[in-house]
Amino acid sequence: MISYIIRRLILAIPTVILVTLFTFIMIHLVPGDVVDLMTGTQNYLTQEQLRELYRSLGLDKPLMIQYFSWIYNLLKMDMGISLRTGEKVLKMILERIPVTFELAVFSITIAVLIGIPLGMLSGVRRGSKVDIIARIFGLAGLSAPTFWVGAILIVLVSRAFPKFKIFGYTPFFENPISNLSSILLPSLTLGLLISSQVMRITRASVVEILAQEFIRVARSKGLPEKMVVWKHVFRNSAIPVLTTAGIQFGYLLGGTVVIENIFSIPGIGRLVFEAVSKRDYPTVLGSVLFITATIVILNIIVDVIYTFVDPRVRLE
Amino acid sequence: MKLKSLLVLLIFSFALIVFAGGTLKLALETEPVGLDPTVVTAFASHRILELVYSSLLTYDRDMNLIPDLAESYEVPDPYTLIFKIRKNVRFHDGTPLTIDDVLFTFERIRNPKTGSPILSYFKDLDRIEREGDDKVIFRFGKPVVMSILPVFASANTAILSKKFVESGANLMLKANGTGPFVLKEYVAGDHITLVKNKYYYNPGLPKLDEIKIIFMPEEISRVTALKTGQVDLALINETLSLRSLPETQFTVFRKPVLSYYLLGLNTKRKPLDNPKVRLAISHAVDREKIVKLVAMGEGQVTGPLSPLLKKWAVPLKELPGYKRDVEKARELLKEAGYPNGISFKVMTSRKYNFDRIAQVLKDQLKDAGIDLQIEIVEWGIFIKRWKERDFDSFVSLNSGSIEPDIQLYRTFHTGGSTNVFGYSNPLVDKLLDEGKKETNFEKRREIYAKIQKILAEESPVIFLYSPNKIYVGQKYVKGFEVLSNEKIIFLKETYLEK
Amino acid sequence: MRRFFKNPLNLISLAIFTLILTMGFFPDLFTSYDPYEMNIEEMLAPPSLKHIFGTDQFGRDLFARVVYGLKKSILVAFFSMVIACAIGSAVGITSAYFGGKYDIFVMRIIDAFFSFPPLILALFIVAFFGTGMLKLIMSISIVYTPIFARTVRSFTLPLRDVNYVLAAKSIGRRDASIILFHILPNILPMIMVTFTMNFSTAFLTEATLGFLGFGVPPPEPSLGGLIGEGRNYFLGAPWVMIYPGLVVAMMVFSVNMITDSLQELMNPRK
Repeated sequence: MISYIIRRLILAIPTVILVTLFTFIMIHLVPGDVVDLMTGTQNYLTQEQLRELYRSLGLDKPLMIQYFSWIYNLLKMDMGISLRTGEKVLKMILERIPVTFELAVFSITIAVLIGIPLGMLSGVRRGSKVDIIARIFGLAGLSAPTFWVGAILIVLVSRAFPKFKIFGYTPFFENPISNLSSILLPSLTLGLLISSQVMRITRASVVEILAQEFIRVARSKGLPEKMVVWKHVFRNSAIPVLTTAGIQFGYLLGGTVVIENIFSIPGIGRLVFEAVSKRDYPTVLGSVLFITATIVILNIIVDVIYTFVDPRVRLE
Repeated sequence: MKLKSLLVLLIFSFALIVFAGGTLKLALETEPVGLDPTVVTAFASHRILELVYSSLLTYDRDMNLIPDLAESYEVPDPYTLIFKIRKNVRFHDGTPLTIDDVLFTFERIRNPKTGSPILSYFKDLDRIEREGDDKVIFRFGKPVVMSILPVFASANTAILSKKFVESGANLMLKANGTGPFVLKEYVAGDHITLVKNKYYYNPGLPKLDEIKIIFMPEEISRVTALKTGQVDLALINETLSLRSLPETQFTVFRKPVLSYYLLGLNTKRKPLDNPKVRLAISHAVDREKIVKLVAMGEGQVTGPLSPLLKKWAVPLKELPGYKRDVEKARELLKEAGYPNGISFKVMTSRKYNFDRIAQVLKDQLKDAGIDLQIEIVEWGIFIKRWKERDFDSFVSLNSGSIEPDIQLYRTFHTGGSTNVFGYSNPLVDKLLDEGKKETNFEKRREIYAKIQKILAEESPVIFLYSPNKIYVGQKYVKGFEVLSNEKIIFLKETYLEK
Repeated sequence: MRRFFKNPLNLISLAIFTLILTMGFFPDLFTSYDPYEMNIEEMLAPPSLKHIFGTDQFGRDLFARVVYGLKKSILVAFFSMVIACAIGSAVGITSAYFGGKYDIFVMRIIDAFFSFPPLILALFIVAFFGTGMLKLIMSISIVYTPIFARTVRSFTLPLRDVNYVLAAKSIGRRDASIILFHILPNILPMIMVTFTMNFSTAFLTEATLGFLGFGVPPPEPSLGGLIGEGRNYFLGAPWVMIYPGLVVAMMVFSVNMITDSLQELMNPRK
């Protein structure tokens, strides 16, 4: 087990490096660079000033040298500074990743707490009223754009509870209660949306498994229905559900821009999106590095959990 | 030492809690991009810098230039500009302002290594002299003083503390100015807290004790925050939002701005190289309708100079191309050799109202047989192509100025730095050069009137409209005003009447 | 088969699905309005008898825009899903089945794709390939292939060492036929569910790309584009965003209902 984990971690390093290289190439190939974004269409700088600006940003060196000096600095735990604000990239990321992380964790938790029971119930009692309602709920979650749900929640909550502080974020250690209330609506929005995915996959798994041979065998052995359901169904459907949850969590890490914008949450989704839009290369690289590393570690964890949940799965 | 400052902080915060009544919560959509006044160009940064720093000049509510950090100024001749610096001014860290700080600031601006965007304005500057301990004299080699005066009211010429800068502070993140507010806290991605500068040199100002600026990129957040009272004042971008913020419950602060939307034409590409074609386009456009459809009436049609500049602007009805005339457009196209109409692309981006304007333009132009194909690109790509003149035409927003030379020279002079249209007219060049140098107001006015008429006739650019800048506040927010150059410096006179 | 048609829910879903498809491919049967015609007087008019869905910010009839925009959205979502599903499933199944170095290698690459914030990946892809329907389809399929790969792999894993597979191997059956005849039939329903699940997300991805400025250029309507544009008017004129969204929901609903029922057909309750 331990050796497996270590092996995976070591293998993860080239993946992460490759991702950063890919990102680096991409962001330099996309037309428009950081100076273009800075000056916009109100460019008053002379050629000489422009050259000086590029030099001061370190962008006058050949691309490969820029990349390798970034890697070199990385080994010294220095991610450089933002080309736009001069702030240290590492500091910015460390300030914002916990926020998005908290949002993701709460969202997935809500999603799982709603999705799995609903999915199991509806899968076991196919065709019943519960099943139909659950399926409609599931479909609603799939088709509603994030923005929609968030906006509707904002409008509803602001009408019903005008004093409730909808926008902004307070760090946990500053004020735990305020922190939880600031993360409530955004995670509810995302949680509801994701729960429908979780529910559907759970239900599908459950239906599949119930139909399979070994369930019949278990039933014929005379085991009580409940045991059949819990022991076998749960175990077998766990893997796809886990995978889905894992995938969603990964997407959340980079894809929460819209929610972060609407609810004014200073997370990393916003940071990455803005950095890419403004071609703030060090920030983009640093953020992608962090997000990639987190997702890779997450996948390792999920794969390890597979083995606990379903003994038939062996680690390579 | 640490304990002492902790104690001071404690008392200060306590005092704030006890005496705060004057805290304004302001919601803006973009956070600043760096805080170094000499270097940053982003408007989102200038908005904040203008509250924290002071420049030699500023604007009054009627957009006239008045002295700020300078006590007075005089222009004895078009080559010379003399400022008398105020006495008894302190920076936020307590350091007294001296003439050395002023000299240091301009040295920094003129140093090419700093990378200041306004460096080119000073290229004709021969030298800066000091006289006594309170006068600074700018001597130019060319008679350009009148045309660059507004630069001295820009945040880019904000006066810095020599001591502070030389101490190695990172100006991008830390601020030490002489403005009405002190930068207390800046949490990137979240908010900025400004507190009253107790030593501000204008007595009685600022009226507010504190301003908390919260960044909310989404309009719906700002509107909801206003409706629930979570913010006191907010920037509103969508005119439709006003429907949710009725004037019975809120105060709407609106001001037509100097920036203007335009359809820029690449005069080096067919069929746009023919001025008749361009005039045809001008005639085919219904500018009033665009204002109604895109801005719901919150804006005004503009010519080469904004009608707000009453002193300078030629009335719209006197400008060729400003009356929608589809028949005339078709005729002009026929004369130009395109009896079956023309077709070209317009490059735009999903920013502000660019893409919406493009859609309306497409709809209007088809009546004259002009087929406009819309290309939406990402903003970074837009800028790149704009710079490289890789477009048939584009829709975007240009900033305006109260000074005609600043607005027109670099955009329409042959080889001008923002003349991406490839426009070149020797007569216009001559007039622009004259206008820059002329000091007599009547003569200048005549010159710029001629220029406006030629520009409307030749239409390298189809000038469209200037939007209204809108801020909405709770009824108890008073004394606020937004200027036509979008500045919100009058937060210094804003107060809460609760 | 008969049971399928007996269930009222299925009939409704089938009806909705057919209706939407017909609307999409034969829009002029359903509306006489021109989806491009602007009308100042009727800007942002709420739904009424004259305009069933109301009008948009330029006074264009929203129902017409929705109906004309359906076809593009359906085609884009469908084809990108088909490609992503086909490639992704192939990768996922083989990866799980053969395991070993191949599995590790492939999964690391998939991980790499996953780690990209999807918005960013989309931005890059579209910035490169440009806009236009074909390229849009390519971009969306690239974004979704890893999902299929990883999900389908997770379906296959438990089946790899199950009795009948081991038995089949011992008899000497070839891998290809084991995959095709033993594994695939078992996971096909799940793949289909994943397909339909992501089919709807593909619609929304189109909207997101619309936010970034990619996708179908205006004034051509497309459901995703309509939802994206409507976002700006949500507070004062919510119908501009809600109705296109509702149509997406109904499309998604009917497709999923039908697939679910088909899945049930393949696994009759014992």
